[in-house]
Amino acid sequence: MNSNNSITVSKLNKEFSFSVKKVSSGWFKNLFTSEKRTIKAVSDVSFEVKEGERIAFIGPNGAGKSTTIKMLTGILFPSSGEINVLGYNPSKDRKKLAYKIGTVFGQRSQLLPNLPLTDSLEFFGVMYDMTNKEIKNRTAELIELFDLGSFIDQPVRKLSLGQRMRAEVAASLIHRPRIIFLDEPTIGLDIVAKKSLRDLLLKINEEEKVTIFLTSHDEWILFLLLHDLGY
Amino acid sequence: MDTLSVVARFGVLIILYSYVFKINDGLIKNTTFVVTAWSMFFYFSFMILGLRNISKVIMHDVKTGNVEVLFSKPISYLFYRFWWQIGLGLYSFVVITIVGGLSLYLAIGFPSTFTSSIFLFTVPFIFLGGVILSLILYGIVGLLAFWIQDINPVFWIVDKAVMILGGSYLPVALFPLIMYKIALYSPFGASQFLTHSVYESWQSNWYELFSIQFLWIMILGFILYFMFKGAKKKVSVNGG
Repeated sequence: MNSNNSITVSKLNKEFSFSVKKVSSGWFKNLFTSEKRTIKAVSDVSFEVKEGERIAFIGPNGAGKSTTIKMLTGILFPSSGEINVLGYNPSKDRKKLAYKIGTVFGQRSQLLPNLPLTDSLEFFGVMYDMTNKEIKNRTAELIELFDLGSFIDQPVRKLSLGQRMRAEVAASLIHRPRIIFLDEPTIGLDIVAKKSLRDLLLKINEEEKVTIFLTSHDEWILFLLLHDLGY
Repeated sequence: MDTLSVVARFGVLIILYSYVFKINDGLIKNTTFVVTAWSMFFYFSFMILGLRNISKVIMHDVKTGNVEVLFSKPISYLFYRFWWQIGLGLYSFVVITIVGGLSLYLAIGFPSTFTSSIFLFTVPFIFLGGVILSLILYGIVGLLAFWIQDINPVFWIVDKAVMILGGSYLPVALFPLIMYKIALYSPFGASQFLTHSVYESWQSNWYELFSIQFLWIMILGFILYFMFKGAKKKVSVNGG
């Protein structure tokens, strides 16, 4: 692996298998000898990402974008191929890697819904073994960086979708990760919220040198990619 | 709501059993009503901890895909869920145990076994063993969701086995011999050995019950460990 690379992926494959009912057999026979069917979700993918880069995985639904991101974060195990993220094999060193990366899943929330956002930030800080002082300082930084001040004390369930997504990204940055993985972060967001999120991602990429790796089937990603071209 | 229904059920059963003991001159199988009532109180108090709910929480995580959020954190998913479950039930457990225990004491008093040094020394450990075994047992049921998605039928069977063999409907001391043996040697009954600690027999057989409980913790602990290893490879969530 090149020392400048954050992520190196080589010939990555992921197959999912599931049982299918044989129409010609009865329920009892199907119970024990059902047919196995395999779907190839990711096929022979190879790429490298350098430290501090902004990478977008674009493609239609079912293209294998989310599956790839979940293999990079150690959630899913690859069927074959090699992955190296910051020197770790995600399948074997999931916990160690988790200290170095942040994750945001657009379709799910990691925040505690009934508690104020500050509690979620503190909760994740403790989870990442940070001291009280570190959590306090980092929370203050994130509040300023993400402009969370107006809703920081509100229960998370009362936030708008745009506010929640900003909060999700902030929470995933509490431990100063070197890479942030975002899986479909723009789902359900309006154009204003998308722009706000784009600006925040560019800001953390430029100010904190965080490598950004995201998946989307949304055309707004082009703006993120074209930022360097003056758009 | 769950806590209220447990308290109500306990109240109804205590009234019924006080009547049953009264018409039997206060003694059934050499056991007094006071001992029986406290044994049942221990069962219901333990139940309020809500450890059984871990099965459904794991199933919910698997079905909704929430498991991916927790798998991306530097924590052990299972231990996180264990501690979360304990934390959820702890407040109700402490309040109900104190208030319920005091009320029961004022109503019927303590059995003489409570003052023995063996009881006082062993109760915290048999309680702790029960907590660990319950979490493991219901954790195994929950992990099945990685293979079969809907664990409700399995949960129902295991939960009813724990309820019956733990002494929810019929106090352990009143079990017929064969049922008592099943309660003694099955993990379902072993997870509720706390209910045995109020009986006279506890003075002589506590170490046997401790050994049985410890053995089940080891056996089921290994099963849980290997199941979880397998479950991690079975993760499959929407959109990957």
